[in-house]
Amino acid sequence: MSSQILFFILASLTIVSALFVVFSKSPIYSVMWMIFCFFTIAGHYVMLNAQFLAIVHVIVYAGAIMVLLLFTVMLLNLNKESEPHKSPLPKFAAIITGGLLMLVLLAAMHSSTLPEYSSPAFSDVGYVQKVGTKIFTEFLLPFEMTSVLFIAAMIGSVVLAKKDKN
Amino acid sequence: MNTLIFTSLLGFFCMVAEILNLRKLIGPVLVLGLALIFGLNQQDWNMNQTFYGMLQVDNFSVAFGSLAIFITLLVFILSSEYYADQEHHISDYMTILCFVLVGALMMFSFSNLTMLFLGIETLSIALYIMAGSKRFDKRSNEAGFKYFLMGAFASGFLLFGIALVFGSTGSFDIQKIAEYPILNSQNISPLYYTGIVLIIFAMLFKVSAAPFHFWAPDVYEGAPVLITAYMSTLVKVAAFAAFYKLVSAVFVYSTPHFEFVLNIAAILTLAVGNLMALSQTNFKRLLAYSGISHAGYLMLIILSSKSQPVAALLYYLLGYSVSTIAAFAVAMPVFKAANSENIDAFNGLGTKKPVLAAALSIAMLGLAGIPPFMGFFGKYFIFTEALQNGFFITTIVAIVGSMIGIYYYFKVILAMYGQPANEVKVETTFNYNLVLWVCLAISLALGLYPAPIVNLF
Repeated sequence: MSSQILFFILASLTIVSALFVVFSKSPIYSVMWMIFCFFTIAGHYVMLNAQFLAIVHVIVYAGAIMVLLLFTVMLLNLNKESEPHKSPLPKFAAIITGGLLMLVLLAAMHSSTLPEYSSPAFSDVGYVQKVGTKIFTEFLLPFEMTSVLFIAAMIGSVVLAKKDKN
Repeated sequence: MNTLIFTSLLGFFCMVAEILNLRKLIGPVLVLGLALIFGLNQQDWNMNQTFYGMLQVDNFSVAFGSLAIFITLLVFILSSEYYADQEHHISDYMTILCFVLVGALMMFSFSNLTMLFLGIETLSIALYIMAGSKRFDKRSNEAGFKYFLMGAFASGFLLFGIALVFGSTGSFDIQKIAEYPILNSQNISPLYYTGIVLIIFAMLFKVSAAPFHFWAPDVYEGAPVLITAYMSTLVKVAAFAAFYKLVSAVFVYSTPHFEFVLNIAAILTLAVGNLMALSQTNFKRLLAYSGISHAGYLMLIILSSKSQPVAALLYYLLGYSVSTIAAFAVAMPVFKAANSENIDAFNGLGTKKPVLAAALSIAMLGLAGIPPFMGFFGKYFIFTEALQNGFFITTIVAIVGSMIGIYYYFKVILAMYGQPANEVKVETTFNYNLVLWVCLAISLALGLYPAPIVNLF
């Protein structure tokens, strides 16, 4: 019962902080709320026995990605004055399409029989060891092929950022 | 599997060659290596192996893998000429182009949705970079950035769809997902259908079908010509093969829901692609819209995937690819000489370089679907498949679309023969001519005698 209450508190915090990300006037505040949102999601992971995932999520997203985002926002100098005037039409289109997708998802949730929420019993399924075993046995090939993906991305950053000799 | 490993190694070689001062070797090693990999790939024919439950190497993956390797080989031959004045970049560019092929090979042989996702991402991320690789050109920057943002958004849809399918079926394995609606025919979760639709959205984006086509013209226009040639052929081949495999192996049992969506998308794609192409003056934009309309024809194959039209898909994609690469092989030296990428750059090419003009005309006729070239029989096979599966209205739209298509392909031919010549002197080199004539020979030979491809499956 107590974990259910915890879940509802965490879930409402996640939603509220996500809304603040969208509605904040200043991009810096948006980023700050995003960090908060990521922390609450990490809390969800812990409650689902995914401890390793929770830690990685905090380190990678709340740590590395956030620093990157903050730098980008500061470099871009997103002032009100420098932004061109936008017509409201794309906003309407986005609201309609996004709302439709949400409607479909809600309808699908509503008519499917999801199992009742029950806090999973404590287990070591989300520990580093268990995750590692999975990665190096069942998901070995995708794990190895990810290296190609990352190297492509790394070379890409060099290609796009390297100072030209000419 | 071997193909995948050796292609990755080839990519790593290009990367290391820069450090070891073997830059001169990159070109020959790439061409030779890819030719060897092409041969190695044939060894897997009729083998039907599965690796780690992740990769399934069967005749389908071997056939489309061969096509992708062949396209990459042609593009590499073109690239040594195209990048001749950017020697210090060639190692990086070639590495990334190799990794694009790796991503494509994963997309042909996946048997697990994680591999599909990884393949699509490897292919896309490498191409985002290449689309923006002309760093001091605003158009190229715009192309790379636009492609990246839109592509990342589509990847989000794909992941969300995969997550929903996983949530309802409990597996990433395509066989288990295919069995799910049969075993649970009484209570199929609505989340499963939602997941399928989201995955289909992402695939429609990757094949640039309407209404997810908006990125294609801008990206094709802004990217360097060589990359446009690579994108418009290899990505189309990879995305359509993966889409076909996904639909025919996984979703075919949940027919009524997605068939309707795909049918609407096919009609829209045909209409948008053909009608928008009419008013284009930029050659790359024209080919982008022509690519969208070809995506529309190929959607007919996806729709009729119940009757397993693999041969028709392979034949059409090969015909489209050779014609497109031939067109770009003519366009590259012409654009370079004229310093413009509009259709008027071809003005009077018929009197200046009659052979080149004839070659481009043949490529355009092939794309338009005029016999005896591959385009005609490709369309013929597709339309018969679609009619046999009862898609009359879509087929009629496709036939009307291909008649409109003849008009805008002839615009290029008319510019070459009907307009007065300009002063600019066009020079082609051996590599461009080699690729050009190989492509045209295939288009004509397999157009006259399609049996080798048609009887493969």
